[in-house]
Amino acid sequence: MRRMNTDVMLGLGVVLLALLAIFIWVPDDTATGLIVKLRGRVSIGDALAPTAAFVLMVVAGVLIAFEGHGKDDVPHLSLANLRFVGLFAALFLVSVILMRWTGPALVGLVHLLGSTDASYRDLRDTVPWKYAGFVTGGTFLVTMLMSLIERRLSWRALLVGLAVTALLILIFDVPFSDLLLPPNGDV
Amino acid sequence: MTEVLHYIWLGILAVFNGYPLFTLGGIAIPAAPIMVCGGLLTGIAVGATPGLAGPMAMAIALPILISVFGFTPDALLPVFGFLIGIMKGATVGGAVPAILFNMPGTPDSVMTTLDGHPMAKAGQPRRALRIAQLSSVTGDTFSDLVLFVCAPFLAVAVEAYLDLPEKTALLILSISFIAAVMGNSRGKGLLAVALGLATAFVGTGQALTPRLTFGNNDLSSGFSLVSVILGVLIIGEILIGIEGLWQASRLGKKKEDAPHDPAQDDLQPGDIGRIAPYVARSAFIGTIIGALPGIGSTLAATLGYSLGARRHFKRGKPGDTPFGEGAPEGIAATEAANSAVSGANLIPVLSLGIPGNAAAVFLILAADSIGGFNPGPQVFHFTSPQVNPELVTAFGIFTLMSIGNILNWTFGGRFMRAMGVLARIPGPILLPMVLLVTLTAIYVQQTSFFALWVTMGFGVLGYVFRRSNIPVLPFVIAFILARPLEQNAREAFSATGGDPWFLFHSATSIALILAAIASVIFLGRKQAES
Repeated sequence: MRRMNTDVMLGLGVVLLALLAIFIWVPDDTATGLIVKLRGRVSIGDALAPTAAFVLMVVAGVLIAFEGHGKDDVPHLSLANLRFVGLFAALFLVSVILMRWTGPALVGLVHLLGSTDASYRDLRDTVPWKYAGFVTGGTFLVTMLMSLIERRLSWRALLVGLAVTALLILIFDVPFSDLLLPPNGDV
Repeated sequence: MTEVLHYIWLGILAVFNGYPLFTLGGIAIPAAPIMVCGGLLTGIAVGATPGLAGPMAMAIALPILISVFGFTPDALLPVFGFLIGIMKGATVGGAVPAILFNMPGTPDSVMTTLDGHPMAKAGQPRRALRIAQLSSVTGDTFSDLVLFVCAPFLAVAVEAYLDLPEKTALLILSISFIAAVMGNSRGKGLLAVALGLATAFVGTGQALTPRLTFGNNDLSSGFSLVSVILGVLIIGEILIGIEGLWQASRLGKKKEDAPHDPAQDDLQPGDIGRIAPYVARSAFIGTIIGALPGIGSTLAATLGYSLGARRHFKRGKPGDTPFGEGAPEGIAATEAANSAVSGANLIPVLSLGIPGNAAAVFLILAADSIGGFNPGPQVFHFTSPQVNPELVTAFGIFTLMSIGNILNWTFGGRFMRAMGVLARIPGPILLPMVLLVTLTAIYVQQTSFFALWVTMGFGVLGYVFRRSNIPVLPFVIAFILARPLEQNAREAFSATGGDPWFLFHSATSIALILAAIASVIFLGRKQAES
């Protein structure tokens, strides 16, 4: 029988974080206290609800630790799980970078070649510029995830990635002038 | 009574005379019934595809629907129509891969595999699918009828008897109940609720300076409902699915492909009479469970199946196929129970504004995005001579649900049987595709990469919850109910002149608070023991 398992650690961690929130974060990051007295009128302040939520979290943490105490086998995050999340986050990060910067980089390149004076912002509503980031970033994400699952890079994964981004352009962008695909709402 | 009939009629008219989709020979074709039909077919297809679920389809469809129909109250019924269609269709469609390939299309159809697949393997797939469809649609229709009758009465009773302190106590009871009954640890249920509440309080409040933002301006309006819900519910699930496939490919596991006998078969004489008592009992169980927020259709299916098995064991005749070996009663008991949850789940949504499952969460999200309809007891104000538009919308929703049932009865089964092919779509293609579609759907609504980061952050949180056995739905429901809870508490506190004991003024609110405490202590203990 193990006294200290992952549930006990989770419970104690939750209690610690909730206490930090109650005594440091909430008082430091709310403009009014638990109760506000203004011109003789008493009302609930902005700190009360979050404090109540974190007090509930303390109770939850104690219960988790109590329920987990003495249990041999509890579900928990393994190192393999964390590695997978890390890998996934890295793919997502690269995909977002491609979405955000491919269009401006291409326009910058064309600018260097002297073909246009316009910025990406000026061209973001025109084809092909407005699709450049979405196609590269979206295709990268789908292709790499498929390759991750299948443990090999394949032309099929690339074609599926391209087909999905093309389909999404047809669904979201072609029929609706008011919808913006990434990154055109940010640039 | 005349007023009620008048509002029912206005609801029907709102569906058939509302937003026109197109004109045919000079006649305007209303959008809402067409959208129910489209949603139903989409839902059946989604339910029939392992790895996809109704809420995913709702998440993807919502921004498209809003773009098509706009942000006016006229858009409400067509948008609700499509979402309700998905909700109904996914419940029916989940049985397809469960029966044909021993792969549950949705979590609540796991029990369907127990008898559905053996029957299909015995060369009667069509019979199994027809029994599943008949039972599912009967359970769903019964549940909807209970909704139509109960929701208005419950809402009127709440408005008549509950004041601000009692409404605050009712919200506390709902959240406590959900925390206690979901998952197998009351501590983890409470943690999910506490995190949901804390997340909802970020960036909100009444002071001019937004609270708990660490000075980040992007958080000054709080986390967006869309990012949080889609992150925790959809992205978290996709992460789990992708990791499962990744690990399966490392271990060299191949998907078990059960033999499929394409022999033509159909309902046998006496099948209807044989399954009727099981369908009736399971429809009742599913409706009761569905009316309680937070208890999912999986429990209803399990309970319906277990009670059906007990009845079959006691009353079965010699020669009857036993449960677990392809009994038609087993398919019927499961499908009627899990489908009866969907209509009843809308009882707390429409009458109290409290969502009970993921599909209900998306209906609230649609109402919140479009505006003009705030689910809750105030909807059922039978005003006269001025018409209450929210009440007309509520009866419009009931009309849409009835249309969905009629379509499900008439051609739902045929479409369902044709969808077996979707179970063959490989997961390695499907999940990355759904991920990109979901992220794109979020971006087109929020037009900011910050929303994608927030969504991904909550997706990872949803993944961690699932891996640590922390239930996700209490988090989402607490997030939705946090602001109404705080608002009600603020108003009740002010209305009682700043009395800190405002929750203990009336017998009703004391009873509700005691029920909240009792639910955590007793229901939670039962869950842990089971």
